Amino acid sequence: MEFGSIALASLDFGTLPQQLVNGLLLGAIYALVALGYTMVYGVLRLINFAHGEVFMLGAYAALFVSWRLGFSEAGLVSNPNLASSALNLVLMLLVSMTTGAIVGVLIEFFAYRPLRNEPRIAALITAIGVSLLLQYGGALILPNSPQPSIDERINPYRSAVVLQLKGADAHFEGDIQQAQGKYDIAKTAFDTALTREKAQFGIDSEFDLRDQSPRKTVQAAESDLKRLQSEKESSEVRVVIPQGQLIMLITSLGLMLILRWLVMKTKVGRNMRAVAHDFDTASLMGINVNRVISFTFFIGSALAGAGAMMNATFLGTPLDTFYGVKLGVKAFVAAVLGGIGNIPGAVLGGLVMGVAETLVVWAGYSSYRDAIALVILIVVLLFRPGGLLGSSKVEKV
Amino acid sequence: MFWIVRILSILAVVGLCFGIQAFALSQTLVAPRLFALTGLYVTLAVSLNLINGITGQFSIGHAAFYQIGAVVAGFLSVRFFADQPLAGPVWLMAMGVVGGLAASLAGLAVGLPSLRLRGDYLAIVTLGFGEIIRIIVLNTDAVGASYGLNVKPKLQFIWMIWLLAALCIAVSRNLLKTVWGLAFLGVREDEIASNAMGVNVTKIKVMAFILGSAFAGAAGAMLAHYEGFINPSMFSMDLSFIVLTMVVLGGSGSITGSVLAAIALFLLPEFLRSAPPVTGSALVAGALSTAVSVAALRWVTHHVHGETRRKVLAYGAGLAGSVTLFLLLRLLLGNVPSLAGISFEASKLRMVIFAATLIILMMLRPQGVFAHHEFSWKWVGRLFGRTNAGVKA
Repeated sequence: MEFGSIALASLDFGTLPQQLVNGLLLGAIYALVALGYTMVYGVLRLINFAHGEVFMLGAYAALFVSWRLGFSEAGLVSNPNLASSALNLVLMLLVSMTTGAIVGVLIEFFAYRPLRNEPRIAALITAIGVSLLLQYGGALILPNSPQPSIDERINPYRSAVVLQLKGADAHFEGDIQQAQGKYDIAKTAFDTALTREKAQFGIDSEFDLRDQSPRKTVQAAESDLKRLQSEKESSEVRVVIPQGQLIMLITSLGLMLILRWLVMKTKVGRNMRAVAHDFDTASLMGINVNRVISFTFFIGSALAGAGAMMNATFLGTPLDTFYGVKLGVKAFVAAVLGGIGNIPGAVLGGLVMGVAETLVVWAGYSSYRDAIALVILIVVLLFRPGGLLGSSKVEKV
Repeated sequence: MFWIVRILSILAVVGLCFGIQAFALSQTLVAPRLFALTGLYVTLAVSLNLINGITGQFSIGHAAFYQIGAVVAGFLSVRFFADQPLAGPVWLMAMGVVGGLAASLAGLAVGLPSLRLRGDYLAIVTLGFGEIIRIIVLNTDAVGASYGLNVKPKLQFIWMIWLLAALCIAVSRNLLKTVWGLAFLGVREDEIASNAMGVNVTKIKVMAFILGSAFAGAAGAMLAHYEGFINPSMFSMDLSFIVLTMVVLGGSGSITGSVLAAIALFLLPEFLRSAPPVTGSALVAGALSTAVSVAALRWVTHHVHGETRRKVLAYGAGLAGSVTLFLLLRLLLGNVPSLAGISFEASKLRMVIFAATLIILMMLRPQGVFAHHEFSWKWVGRLFGRTNAGVKA
């Protein structure tokens, strides 16, 4: 292993706020997908390995809607100036969420429900089977090579929001003005020399100048100016957020609040909490357990669909049928990190993971970005075996 | 008498291993590799069964132990094989031991957290551990980083691979015949109760991890030398899942089940490679009729009671009905041009069929094909109508 000692000096603290924001944006998607894992685990004690595939299908649904709206390759060739609107995005979001929800409920009904009373490991293997079936079976039907991606023009909000946290150091103003003056003088001298020699010797380019000194002076002055400008830029601390990602964050937070309301304030949410607390007693109290479980899958998968649509649209990553694998694993780790079965825990876990990942990349260890989440997970579980917010109750006989 | 039987059976097993090698080499060009890899999968499944099925510690990071064995042994061979006096087979055996030791150290490292964690949390830690190992290897230049490691020399001894598998089976089986084995089973069934009975639960759990990972590491060493090339992508999470699937499909805790499931599940996708392409209509018909037959067979399992003959008839009827349905559907769908027109290559279908097999088997037999049963001669006798040959009723 080649862990060089982290040289603090080599870290660019000016970009830290930007990285933290990036981490939160990434974490929001993790959190959204982690919610699905944690809710299903809460009611069924089942690791729903097929959740990543629900995510993948949600992304494909968004892709098909965008094609339908005219943002396919062929459509854009015939109509290159097609304008999009927020309505298109809302439509894609709704279709993705619906697709995800339907797929999730179907998976539960056909694959998990028949095994409800069997050992949990049987349902787990079935979940792995469903996951593989959707990955490879999907590859037979869905377009995946060349990998399609949602055209960025479907997103009408493509500019970025810039937040200036700290201005440039004051002395740069004067320095730059001075350098600019020097450069202007040198440039004038160079231009006159060039015109003169062109007339006198008939040369074509500046490289043929008989007297090279004006060219060298202007080059030196220009590089000074550029250096000062870049130093000024790096001395200011700013955060650039693409509007799309801002929408992503706000929508995710909105969905989480809706979920919170649904779980804490509505009757079906109360039933859900009851089933999660004690499956058998809940059913004795007249709760329709099957309906509650279907509903849980419905909500969790809809959230995955929403995350998929936003991920595919605003980040524009190319799709294939393994789209959900990596993100699924990470989201699952986030759910466990926060305490699986615990809804605020999933959100916290997702955000922690997103930030940790970007920080590792920021520190220059980008090849370890997939490992850091797991390291954090293991360390946390060693000290808090139930996760950050989970209760680690000892199983009783 | 006991020792004569024992020595004879050991000789028979060794003979069998050489027999497998001779048979494999006499077949087609790909056969030796298939035989070698099957042996490795058997070792992996049986050793995971030791942790997962017998001791009940839910571990899904077995690929990591396999990789540690492969990387350590491969690295040592590249560095030192040329400068030492040992012959190929002896060196490979030594490498198996070294790979096993390295992996068992890792097993110790994973086994220790298992004292605090249970069930799914333990599963996640093992999964995470596996991924971390893979990523570390991926970033370590000494063992080839993302390119992989060319292991020279290639030492291809199919007999040794199968001998390792046999050793793994023998250790598992003999463990279950001793008091120690009872302790392992006790930990699986009820930790608190076995603790109260004086079983050192900590020790048993860690031992299970060490033993299981040692065999996986040795298998890794064999793999590195057989293939002559190892790459981190060979040890991904999928491999762990596949081995776990073998254990569960065969029946958690059943050594026989693990062995047979490993052979079947490894060879199934390999044989499907050479299958002919399938038309869309046949595929849809197959999927629909499979779903119907699963539903029918499940219904029979839950609703038909009574004599064996009746059950067999019911199962037969269900199967026959599904086959008829398949033929009918294929005939009908053959007229749908959009389906009959497309054909799918077998290479694309094989993982679909693999996944479907997992789901179907779990639906029909959630406890695994062999459940907790083991192969025994008595059972064979009963199968051929000799009721309890030695035992008076």
